[in-house]
Amino acid sequence: MEIDHSALDNIQAAQNPDGGWPYRQGGSWTEPTVYALLAHQAGRAAPPRIAETKIWLGASQQPDGGFKPRRSVDQSTWVTSLVALLPPETIGAESHARALAWLLRQSGMETSPFLRLGNFIRDGKLAGPPALSGWPWFPGTAAWVTPTCLAILALKQDYRRRPTNGLRERIANAQAFLLSRRCADGGWNHGSARSLGYNSDSYPETTGQALVALAGADPSRLPESFRAAQGFLGQQRSSAGAAWLRLGLLAHQQLPAAAPLSSMPCRTLPDSALTLMAAAAERGYNVFLDT
Amino acid sequence: MRRRDFLLGSAAALGLSGCGSRPAAPRVRPCVDITRAAAYSQDIYGAMRRILAQHRLNVRGRRVVLKPNLVEFEPESSINTNPLVVHAAVEAFRELGASVVIAEGPGHRRGTLDLADAAGYFQIIPGFEDIFTDLNLDEVSRVNLQRPVSRLSSLYLPHTVLGSDLLVSMPKMKTHHWAGATLSMKNLFGIVPGGVYGWPKNVLHWAGIHQSIADLHSLFPHHFAIVDGIVGMDGNGPIQGRPKAAGVIVSGRDPVAVDATCCRIMQIDPARIEYLTLAGGLEGIEAKNIEQIGENIDSVATRFDLIMELRELRKV
Repeated sequence: MEIDHSALDNIQAAQNPDGGWPYRQGGSWTEPTVYALLAHQAGRAAPPRIAETKIWLGASQQPDGGFKPRRSVDQSTWVTSLVALLPPETIGAESHARALAWLLRQSGMETSPFLRLGNFIRDGKLAGPPALSGWPWFPGTAAWVTPTCLAILALKQDYRRRPTNGLRERIANAQAFLLSRRCADGGWNHGSARSLGYNSDSYPETTGQALVALAGADPSRLPESFRAAQGFLGQQRSSAGAAWLRLGLLAHQQLPAAAPLSSMPCRTLPDSALTLMAAAAERGYNVFLDT
Repeated sequence: MRRRDFLLGSAAALGLSGCGSRPAAPRVRPCVDITRAAAYSQDIYGAMRRILAQHRLNVRGRRVVLKPNLVEFEPESSINTNPLVVHAAVEAFRELGASVVIAEGPGHRRGTLDLADAAGYFQIIPGFEDIFTDLNLDEVSRVNLQRPVSRLSSLYLPHTVLGSDLLVSMPKMKTHHWAGATLSMKNLFGIVPGGVYGWPKNVLHWAGIHQSIADLHSLFPHHFAIVDGIVGMDGNGPIQGRPKAAGVIVSGRDPVAVDATCCRIMQIDPARIEYLTLAGGLEGIEAKNIEQIGENIDSVATRFDLIMELRELRKV
């Protein structure tokens, strides 16, 4: 799969005057802005008007160190993981460290001691502490697959820069969380593998994300997941899904040589960026995993 | 558009008479129409025109937002609102002089346009992409809840919805393994932006599903409802259930009354659906307090199977 440099041109053309990027059109959001930067990183190209982008991103950081999804939202959310995936110099080392510190303070609400105390008062018995901990989309809610994957990837980048036991353990714990949320078919959906006794189906996007986040994990635990991801490759449902699948399978050297290319259009900026990032990964550079 | 403007606009659009004369106040019996529609055919276009005529909506020059229910990539299933029903509504509202937008923010899947494509929306609705807004990724403003019954005190909501003169909820008639039934009120979960809250919009679950539905209703009490009950879903809805033909389109300007009527058609006791009693009170969902037009409930009532956990909702 070749890198489509015209896709990079299209991404550049979509930049807003404020330096950020929209999902399709309109105001800038943090997620597409980070994806635009990662696409440039994957394509080994300099982002346009990076000074404005840095200012825009800097203004999106909350006093607590987290990042908000767009200017009109006064709340740090899951997009902090995406920003933390960027090289520290993009937003400055101090801002980057504060983002990571915010991230490390977050976990799914199901692990909250206050919640456990409330359940104790209600049920009269104390459940054991939850052993596994992922990340929520929005503070004060439960952990889910996508934000956990992105947090793992951000922490892995940081671990490569400054390895600590605490970081390694948090990553390992979150990877175990992902494995605990795997669907019966071997893939992942948003994070609900089973509900009211019924198995739920997995999705291509989240299956690919989980495989990227599980890069380096024991492959003997993942054959069903590889099969699920490879099975999804033939479905033409979304370009983002196809890109995540390729990124995920490539992270484990499991992408079949004859894997069909996506024929779905890129409908949002993250779609275009992910497609470009998957192409770069096939040429040996995975921006989520490589420095 | 500011929130206050939105409220005034809605009131203006909806303050005109519906079926029968309807003064703005005091409260009169809400009117719910049940129209038979045996299949997804061209007949739906005429039926939709008649439905809107029945309710006498004055939408000339108004901005109407149609909010279908898009959930999963299963075009052959009965998960999503059928695109033919939505297209019929687009045409019917346009004939009344409205400018029409279709908008949705799915709760689990991120590729909203991909989802709409798989559900047949691109194929059935000419120029679909030009009139569609992904509510998960729309511009947002925070709206305070005045008297919340959930744990929420405010919500970020999309400008496309806040700026509309008339929000039309167009759900599929389905059972729901947590809420009991998902109809026009539960469908408003789709206006809460995933770009802020994520996929799923778990903040609504933590705040209480029934309570959050009631709170969203309090923000849009006069949205119009058109329920696609031609083929609904029973069993383990809203995703893994079975197609269930009910052969009806249910509509009205009072979502509580519309949803209560749908429950009766599904042979679910509306008094046992917590969000309905929270939003309308037991009095608001009593059959005698709802003006029924079109088909009567008994003639179209269809037993929707319920999973074991929901059996107590069965209307007796």
